Amino acid sequence: MVHIEFTINGQQKALDIPADITALELIRSLLGLKGTKEGCGIGECGACTINVDGRAINSCLMLAAQMDGTKVLTVEGLATENSLAPVQEKFMENHGVQCGFCTPGILMSSHALLAENPDPNDEEISKAIAGNLCRCTGYKQIFASVREAAILTGQLTQQKGEGGND
Amino acid sequence: MTDIEYIRPLNLKEALDFLWDNGEDTRIIAGGTDVMVDIRSDGLAKKYLLDISRLDELKGIELNGQELSVGAGVTISEIDSSEILETHALALKKSAFSFASRQIRNIATIGGNVAHSSPCGDTVPALLVHRAKALVADKKGTRLVPMEDMANKAYMSSLSPRDILVKFILTPYQDGFADFQKIGRRREMAVSRISLAVFAKKNNEGKISFLKIGLGACTPTPCNMEAVEFFLTGKIPTEELIWEAGSLLAKNMIEITGRRSSAIYKEPAVQGLFMRILYPMVNV
Repeated sequence: MVHIEFTINGQQKALDIPADITALELIRSLLGLKGTKEGCGIGECGACTINVDGRAINSCLMLAAQMDGTKVLTVEGLATENSLAPVQEKFMENHGVQCGFCTPGILMSSHALLAENPDPNDEEISKAIAGNLCRCTGYKQIFASVREAAILTGQLTQQKGEGGND
Repeated sequence: MTDIEYIRPLNLKEALDFLWDNGEDTRIIAGGTDVMVDIRSDGLAKKYLLDISRLDELKGIELNGQELSVGAGVTISEIDSSEILETHALALKKSAFSFASRQIRNIATIGGNVAHSSPCGDTVPALLVHRAKALVADKKGTRLVPMEDMANKAYMSSLSPRDILVKFILTPYQDGFADFQKIGRRREMAVSRISLAVFAKKNNEGKISFLKIGLGACTPTPCNMEAVEFFLTGKIPTEELIWEAGSLLAKNMIEITGRRSSAIYKEPAVQGLFMRILYPMVNV
């Protein structure tokens, strides 16, 4: 067993875990956060994408023990009590979700992209979500959702700026 | 429940001490993007997982005069965004740009890519172009291993279980033409079938004065292509000449692999990729 301490969706955790489990197993089985999906389990499909210290990674390829000391965000942590995150809002509006299995992963890839680059062009969006497969092939709507989420994020940041020091 | 033990040493010395005693029973993990796939398919079959992903000694990209060093623990994303590599090792930077997916680039390391010894490791052809040497450490000291000696055969690293790859030392090149391209089954997330890295310079007579070529994926271990470099050096790169050099490259590849059933596809594909990659040299 390995003792690890980390933050997930703003909550501190201290756990003793088996040494050879993946971050995905920890998140789904030990913490019961089922939003993160297992698709291929070998880093090809992106359904298990989470953010670790702000970067998108495949949780099926990360050793859970390596989460020690990190800040983890899963799809459950995107929304606040009062509102959905811009990516969630826009995926809903643009029908970026069909069967929904790839959605948590694509939301997390998009979220990491917008945090790093608030004004991505189409090529940058494509590059950021190229590691996420959608078997329903709803890529046009997904693209539109990310593009509009970027605009919304920009507007929200600006409002925040104008609103003063909050 | 397994009895595997996870160990995260605080520094390189601690890691090397541990490996000296337990190397045979240990699997080293850095980014984990290959190790985790292996564990999923076959289990670990070792007693220890040694996590070297946080060792400071394996980090950083630095230029000191005629020596460009890239830490073995540098991630592919860090290579992709490095300004030093943009100027001094553009082919390596380009290999990072098209490497797997964003999620994998964010944690996969160049040391892992080399140590895994897959024929299709995308950073290897560019490291060959830069005539890189790996600095390898064990408890007793360090040694330099040329890139072409890093793998004995496909998926078989020449490193001992007591070794840790510390960094790569590259010959920096600037003010020339550099590129990396690959052929895979799709554009993103593709495993390379054929990959090529080049660096070339022309002199003021328009002749190729300097050329380095690294071929990957279609030979058991990636290789330098010195016969092709020699063939083109000192000549004016016309379209016909590059086509001819591409044919020589394909011939050299077949000499290494033997004529396998895929040759009928790979021979013209290697030649075509060589033409595509070097075509800008014709008119610049």
